[in-house]
Amino acid sequence: MVKKTSKPLWDFLSSVRLTVVLLILVAITSIFGTIIPQEQVTATRFARDLSPGLLNLFNSLQLFDMYHSVWFRSIICLLALNLIVCSLDRFPATLKLFRLTPKPDRSKPFEGMPPHRVLTIEGGLKETTDNVGDFLKERYNTMVIKKTDKETYFHCEKGRFTIFGVYLVHLSVLIILMGGIIGSLLGFNGYVNILEGESTDTVFLREGMSYNDKDLGFGIHCENFSIDFYDNGMPKEYRSDLKFIMEGKTVKEAILLVNHPIKFKGITFYQASYGSLAGDKALLKISNAEIDMHDFTLEVELGKPVPLPGNGARLILADISDDFMNMGPAVKISIMPEGREEISFWLFKYQYNIKKQYPGIFDNFPKLNPSSYKPYTFYVDDIETVYYSGLQVNKNPGIPLVYTGFFTIIVGLFVTFLTSHRRIWVHITGKPGNISVKVAGKASKNQVGMEKELDRLVTSLDSCLNPGREI
Amino acid sequence: MFKPGKGDIMLHSVILSYITFFYFLSFLFYLLMMVMEKKAFGQIATIITLTGLAGHTFALIVRWVESYRLDIGHAPLSNLYESLIFFSWTIILLYLLMERRIKNRTVGTFVTPLAFLALAYASFSDNVSSEIRPLIPALQSNWLTAHVITCFFGYAAFALSFGISLMYLLKKSHMANIKTGFFNLLPGAGTLDELNYNMVIIGFLMLTLGIITGSVWANAAWGSYWSWDPKETWSLITWLVYATMLHARMVRGWKGKRLASLSIIGFACVLFTYFGVNFLAGLHSYAV
Repeated sequence: MVKKTSKPLWDFLSSVRLTVVLLILVAITSIFGTIIPQEQVTATRFARDLSPGLLNLFNSLQLFDMYHSVWFRSIICLLALNLIVCSLDRFPATLKLFRLTPKPDRSKPFEGMPPHRVLTIEGGLKETTDNVGDFLKERYNTMVIKKTDKETYFHCEKGRFTIFGVYLVHLSVLIILMGGIIGSLLGFNGYVNILEGESTDTVFLREGMSYNDKDLGFGIHCENFSIDFYDNGMPKEYRSDLKFIMEGKTVKEAILLVNHPIKFKGITFYQASYGSLAGDKALLKISNAEIDMHDFTLEVELGKPVPLPGNGARLILADISDDFMNMGPAVKISIMPEGREEISFWLFKYQYNIKKQYPGIFDNFPKLNPSSYKPYTFYVDDIETVYYSGLQVNKNPGIPLVYTGFFTIIVGLFVTFLTSHRRIWVHITGKPGNISVKVAGKASKNQVGMEKELDRLVTSLDSCLNPGREI
Repeated sequence: MFKPGKGDIMLHSVILSYITFFYFLSFLFYLLMMVMEKKAFGQIATIITLTGLAGHTFALIVRWVESYRLDIGHAPLSNLYESLIFFSWTIILLYLLMERRIKNRTVGTFVTPLAFLALAYASFSDNVSSEIRPLIPALQSNWLTAHVITCFFGYAAFALSFGISLMYLLKKSHMANIKTGFFNLLPGAGTLDELNYNMVIIGFLMLTLGIITGSVWANAAWGSYWSWDPKETWSLITWLVYATMLHARMVRGWKGKRLASLSIIGFACVLFTYFGVNFLAGLHSYAV
């Protein structure tokens, strides 16, 4: 091949040496990002241990967000450019090769062919030629014949398209990259936490290190969030019952599960996380030491006084804590007896365990004693928890393109590696009664498979041309 | 009803610990065949390996059925233990298919130890729990099966390519000049090179499918088809190494030692993608 030395930049960009260097470069630089933390929280923790000089270096190289850094993107862009120039550089030659009319009367393919690929036929030349022609036509779509009085050459082939496989693979890589670019330019990645029973119409976008609000243009209402567990305590299902609201009306109701996102108005919702907050209600169990009666329960709501049964006093739920003094959930109640001073104390949810672990704790600290207001003893039966559902909210118009690229790269790879361009030459010559039929072939890859195909072809050609002969 | 029992010893894990021993035995016989230059040992090795594969397949099915009996039915492809036994299975299956095709048993000496090690690690390490556990919500997807099967067939093909590369380098090193019987049964260097290339092609196709199925799944589960999570990134690094290798071979005509060395680097990346990444935090943490 003649090198076009007049275009050094073109030659540089179209070289496979550049491709190999870039592929290795992407591979090596990608390793950094798997060692250096890329998420804000972990990256901050990591950065704390670095010396100021090193931290500056890391920051200026954008190593804490390296896959989105200018230099990493530049390498990818250069790789894409290399891919494009390479393809443009080589495609015309490939197309010419594809369109080339094959020359059937070549002697080279028959050089050094094994003797069992030569058949000797007793029939006439024309008759044999016609039979061979029909035989080949049945098996191959493309056939070129060169005929003279004395001899005939056939050239058949299949899989000529295989040379385009590589272009399809490279085009697919570009399609996927294009999909990625479109997604990052026109799409967004957001998240939002919605409390059960509440609605929202804005989500938060992560853009680098800053956070922005985004108005969706419609409302999402979280009717209910639930977790289902297996018997061994592992989570089985996270589920949000959602309603999509436009102009005050529910236009869509849907159940959101992990692995089953919901699409609404081009925006996709994913069940990403959940959490819980203490609500504002608690259920108390109360026993009375003087009256030997059954314990009774009392539902209380934060800040709303209720009468204490069997007594003139009023009880008020003053506070709720998820974890009071590192001893688990607790509520604070205040009791206001008639004409006496108010008494306030905390009730632990896991009262029994705490009493066992710290004997005497309740007697020593009246503020923690569930029997502070005699003759009653109070227990926390339940504290209301309110769940919030954490939704990932995305719009990615690049997805169809990316998936197209996924599909075509698979097709391209199969065409490139698993199909081959197989060519077959058949030469017929000789006098009537002693006709020789030679079969030769060549494949662009998997020559072993080609040899097997040739053997099969010769065997069936033999039985086709010599139908009566016993083997 | 599902009851987590730590002390439960299940049938399939007993079978698998025997299979581990079988694969070690077949390695010994393949080795014996090369050292003694007696093909009969190779035939015995093949029979042992085949028996091992049959038992291995049976154990996989038993575990699968068992998970349904526990009411948490899923294909045994969901955690480190299950992936190790599947990896071992794919290596042996692919190896036996190759052995049938090339009619040379020496590759077995270099490949059966890998299957043995994977199974031994699964069966005897304290870090790997053989308990059948239910699928957490993120894993409840049909993509799980497609993703794991394609990835591990890819890994197995790369494992074979690794073994063949070792053979090639041994054959080419001066050790081969010493007149020992050991190297006499090895296929020719050209055959090994071609075989290596073919294995890399199979591995590359499978890895590509594995990455794509993983990507489509990630998009359904997490809303992002690519998150630069360490495992994703390392699978891309592996893909790039083998892509480099294919370019070097197809366009620049690299062969022999250079290609064998690249294949060894590639397999190191495979191992890091599989095991090493567990030391780095990420989305694939349930594979531990």
